[in-house]
Amino acid sequence: MTSVATTAPSTALPRRVASATRRLITAEIKLMIRDPLTLTFVFAFPVVTMLIIAGSFGRDPDPAFDHLDPAHWYVASYLTVMIAATGLIMLPVHIAAYRERGVLRRFAAAGFPRWSFFAAQLATGLVTIVVAGAVLLAVAAPVYGVPAVDSWCRVVLGLAAGAVGFVSVGVLLGSVLRSARSAQAIGLLLFFPSFLLGSGGPPPQVMGAALRNIAEYLPLTLVTRAVREPWLGIGNATGPLIAVVLLAAAATVVSARRMAL
Amino acid sequence: MVVVRGLRKAYGGRTVVDNVDLDVRSGEIVGIIGANGAGKTTTVECIQGLRRPDSGSVRVVGLDPLRQADQLRPQLGSQLQDSALPDRLRVDEAIALFATARARRADELLAQFGLIERRRSAFGSMSGGERQRLFLVLALLNRPRLVILDELTQGLDPAARRDVWAAVEQLRADGTTVLLVTHELDEAEALCDRVIAMRAGRVLDSGAPATLVARHAGWAKVRFGWPGSADELRATLLTTPGVQYVAVDTGTIDAVQFTVHGERQVIAQVGAELVRRDHIPADLRVEVPDLESALIELLEADSAPPCPATSPTTDLIGADR
Repeated sequence: MTSVATTAPSTALPRRVASATRRLITAEIKLMIRDPLTLTFVFAFPVVTMLIIAGSFGRDPDPAFDHLDPAHWYVASYLTVMIAATGLIMLPVHIAAYRERGVLRRFAAAGFPRWSFFAAQLATGLVTIVVAGAVLLAVAAPVYGVPAVDSWCRVVLGLAAGAVGFVSVGVLLGSVLRSARSAQAIGLLLFFPSFLLGSGGPPPQVMGAALRNIAEYLPLTLVTRAVREPWLGIGNATGPLIAVVLLAAAATVVSARRMAL
Repeated sequence: MVVVRGLRKAYGGRTVVDNVDLDVRSGEIVGIIGANGAGKTTTVECIQGLRRPDSGSVRVVGLDPLRQADQLRPQLGSQLQDSALPDRLRVDEAIALFATARARRADELLAQFGLIERRRSAFGSMSGGERQRLFLVLALLNRPRLVILDELTQGLDPAARRDVWAAVEQLRADGTTVLLVTHELDEAEALCDRVIAMRAGRVLDSGAPATLVARHAGWAKVRFGWPGSADELRATLLTTPGVQYVAVDTGTIDAVQFTVHGERQVIAQVGAELVRRDHIPADLRVEVPDLESALIELLEADSAPPCPATSPTTDLIGADR
């Protein structure tokens, strides 16, 4: 026989518990690192492809790589691959799966504020990017070495704005797409062209004119330039940085308004 | 506790809740019953503020579920139909995620629902019954004033079902108000103080389960073997108040088989007649309808062509509302 021991609510002593947002962030981070899709696309894929691509062009300075060591050129580029993987694949699939399976309804019924879920996804995405970036640099360091950072402020600003922007886009896609399968399909369709043309593929100098023109305006290209150029001292990338900051602000506002439990 | 007036909700032009009024008083266990697609779940989703009604008003503990959701939801405990937790979330992590400052000791609840050994288990590894029990634990965790249980025992084996029923009975004893959505009519009959029958988005009738049964399926059937003259007893029974028909069939070599059908009072009338004749049949059987029979008759009456003077719908809905 089951019985439910209860105490009258009025006599119950409140105890200290974390805020709803903090509880959600804690749970979401734990879930994220258990997710095979995250482990594959955000952690393993960028590291493996970086190891292959960065070693494919030798170590001699090359005009196609702004007269730099191609390996260093790629190491400085690949942090944005995990930003794109988080924003275009991991988060949309994760959030759409939550909607599809009724997890969001359960959160709503339990009284989690709408913004708390958005904040939790933003925090989880950023934490994932930071950890995955650290893993990538830790792997790159003994193999190719990590190039010295020329302008820390600009690099950090570019990474932060790019991460916030892509995470917000991920939340937006997750809130618009109705199933995990459609989110995965759309996410992969957006990710791979961005990856190949904007960050982890061949350098723009070896692309044909048409592809170079397309690549130039991809959001991931802007983020990559905002990070790579001040990192390697090949430019300030002020234009791309401003564009990335504006895109991040717009994406954050739109996804915060659109996100619904 | 819950006051709903004129609630309407349509999806893409199809009305799923149509002018529903309902009241749930503090401390009551009220069931919403009806077939799939009757509008039960949409109604409780509007009550919880998970859906925006097209028109009508909803008040729960005096609050508007949409405009005052932040104040209301901590006072509600919900077990939702067709919802889940993340597959890789463990039971203890789910408790930590959903527990507020009002939460009771989770270990006690987990033990009471047979989940204490599954504390470290991932939601995805749990059986359907275990998941339902975990949802109940989460619904009760924060000492809610109103508990909404949608398809409470779906997927539970009979033993687990009984345990969950006992837990709901305990909620009644503690004075917690429960709104139970179900199409398991034995569950509604066993647990609810009142039930609200819905069909096609409308409330057909409401009242205590026994009242609904009496109102919509007030018949009884008495069967027994009779060793003597069938004609004389049959004639007597046909003149007995409440008897509608008497059937006499060949039974055994020694006795014929009587079936007396009529209003509920025929049970007493037939019993009295048999006692008067100093014969207590060993094979005496009484058949009375349950809530399921009442609902079926109510639904059939609702779908039948209108019969103004005797329609149970027009006669009875107002009686309890």
